Amino acid sequence: MNPHQLVFWILSVIAIGGALGVILSRNPVASVLFLIVTFFAVSGHYILLNAQFLAIVNIIVYAGAIMVLFLYVIMLMNLNGDVEPQKSKLLQFAGIISGGILFLVLLAAFKTTQLSTTPINASTSIGLISELGQVLFTRFVFPFEISSILFLSAMVGAVVIGKKD
Amino acid sequence: MLSVLLNSPANTTINYLPIVIQLVVAIGFVAFMMSVTHLLGPKRRTSDKLANFESGIESVGNARQPMAIKYFLVAILFVLFDVEVIFFYPYAVNFKALGKEGFLAVLMFVAFFLVGFIYIRKRGALDWEE
Amino acid sequence: MILIITASIIGVVLLFASFLLKHTSSLLHLVTVLFAALFGVAIWEALQPTAILTQSFYLDAIRVDRFTNQFNVLITGCLFLYILLMKKHIAAVGKYKAEYFALIAFIMVGIFMLSSFNSLLVMFLGIEIVSIPQYILAGSDKENLKSTEASLKYFLMGAFSTGFLLMGITLLYGATGNFMVSEFNFLQATSINPIALGGVLLLIVAFGFKVSAAPMHLWTPDVYDGTPTPFTAFMATIVKVAAFVGFMRLFQTSFTAISSSWSLVLAVVIALTLFVGNITAVFQQSVKRMLAYSSIAQAGFMLFAIISLNAIGRQGMLVYTVAYSVASICFFAILIKMKDYTYDGFNGLAKKQPFIAALATIYMLSLAGIPLTGGFMAKYYMLKAVLFEGSYMWLAIFALLMAAVSVYYYFKVIIAMYFKEGEAAMIDSFTKEEKLYLTIGALALLVVGIFPSLLTGTI
Repeated sequence: MNPHQLVFWILSVIAIGGALGVILSRNPVASVLFLIVTFFAVSGHYILLNAQFLAIVNIIVYAGAIMVLFLYVIMLMNLNGDVEPQKSKLLQFAGIISGGILFLVLLAAFKTTQLSTTPINASTSIGLISELGQVLFTRFVFPFEISSILFLSAMVGAVVIGKKD
Repeated sequence: MLSVLLNSPANTTINYLPIVIQLVVAIGFVAFMMSVTHLLGPKRRTSDKLANFESGIESVGNARQPMAIKYFLVAILFVLFDVEVIFFYPYAVNFKALGKEGFLAVLMFVAFFLVGFIYIRKRGALDWEE
Repeated sequence: MILIITASIIGVVLLFASFLLKHTSSLLHLVTVLFAALFGVAIWEALQPTAILTQSFYLDAIRVDRFTNQFNVLITGCLFLYILLMKKHIAAVGKYKAEYFALIAFIMVGIFMLSSFNSLLVMFLGIEIVSIPQYILAGSDKENLKSTEASLKYFLMGAFSTGFLLMGITLLYGATGNFMVSEFNFLQATSINPIALGGVLLLIVAFGFKVSAAPMHLWTPDVYDGTPTPFTAFMATIVKVAAFVGFMRLFQTSFTAISSSWSLVLAVVIALTLFVGNITAVFQQSVKRMLAYSSIAQAGFMLFAIISLNAIGRQGMLVYTVAYSVASICFFAILIKMKDYTYDGFNGLAKKQPFIAALATIYMLSLAGIPLTGGFMAKYYMLKAVLFEGSYMWLAIFALLMAAVSVYYYFKVIIAMYFKEGEAAMIDSFTKEEKLYLTIGALALLVVGIFPSLLTGTI
């Protein structure tokens, strides 16, 4: 096992453990903190893939800004009493079964695929910021421009929904 | 290990090794210090010691009050503009190579955000006192 | 393409209209003019001599073909009718009058992207641009707890399904290394990559959610019921049809070669959708909720266009666009004036408002698929498409059976109007213009029902 693989496995364990912590912990603030751990582990994976820009964006936007939003949402709620409604066991069971089936299907798909047939043979520098900029502003310039419409409607939505009348 | 690092090409994963080392040292130091103080420090658990520290003043009321939605509105607008700024990094790196067309593309993107910003200001979403 | 740009500019103009125009009536005039202009641009684009060719724009991110142009004309036409009938009610929903129209314009941007994408990125952005304003519109009536609940429910479920969509796109990209849907053709039935197949499956789930196909339909009744009625009329018709067109475009251009791998899954989904939608609709007391379930049932029929993968299905989709959207929009325009949304609220409408009752009857007949109306032709084309394909005879027979069930709940409205005694209390009376637009809608349904080739002739 070379160091690259070793780091990969450590990061994977942290990521999956953090993700499990998000859904299993009873305290919502602890869930958010676990989610931040997961994001950092995923950022580590990005760095392993040499996608440095994505790694940093993941930390700045997701672990930084969006997690703050999550905490705000938790603070908007009233967490004094034991307000979380008890979900029925049957529902939890059904969720586990259906999620497990999806997991098995995807796992089977991955297992039977010969990875050599996948045609992704891009160079290792594809995730660097300069390469990304070249592609983003030339080949993918239309999706980039149109995403501003998405942001604009999100802004309008924040005002329409969030502003006190 | 140092020679590996110094001889490796720029912009590869191995360049992040110092950051990993720093991270491990930082986390290790904090964990070490906390466990040491926990083990060595005296344990006097009285009700006064366990109370929240409020600069010596007795705490009043309940801290778990729902927040005003105004904070949330500002936070969500911050995230949107944060994402806008993120898009500038790849552009700034390629500023010269992308030329006029790239500039126009970014200009249009920013124009839409400017429209949004003017709208937000005019609607008074950032006015704190109402 | 100019239509996307026009819709974006209309949205921005409307955002600022509320600061410049103080009176609601002048805002509504502006709205009418702008959306008429959008309709005009769509027609102008379709009349260009190049409109019959397949053109690509923006480095092949978008491909406009004949079907796209025709669909855009029809959908903007339906939108114009919707605006004419509903603008007064939209402005009455809440304080942010101009914003509601601006959000509708932004949704149209997403719809035009869904009808013309060639890159999975554009498709994803299109779906998001369609979805996010809808979450806002669903929660626009902030005083009403049901509206807030609808918005939150829709948002959570929508975000969940977006996760499926993204995962599907990721798997497809991983298997092919490509975002361009027109270049997935090398996916062959003989040497299919299981990862790609997983991606296709996840895309079926995600789109099934967006078009509310069973068993991904559970959000639909609550959301459509809780959303303010003018916006329900928009979500259940124009947006839904656009999601279908995106679904069809993706599967017809990319996954035809491997249809044997996914068509059985889709067939089961269709059968479930038809069954759940029709049977549950029978038991509803509220007409608005019945329309929500009926939209699920109609979705079952529209899914035939995707499973059949042939030109007749594409023609059928165009006919369905008009027949279903116009009938539902017009009926919602009548429903919105009723004081009581239950069946009993319609009792005795024929005596009080004979003209409106007659129009409502035409819409109901069309939704039920009675001959001479557009709804019949729409269902006819869909069944023809699936029979032409050959392998799903049982599905067509089941659909016919379910269409017969649907007659029951649509006719319940007609029976309440004509054969029951009652008050049929209205909040508001119909103006002359509204009656005119409703009549135009009914005439459009009849024309489509008698001469469907007007819509399909050139495809």
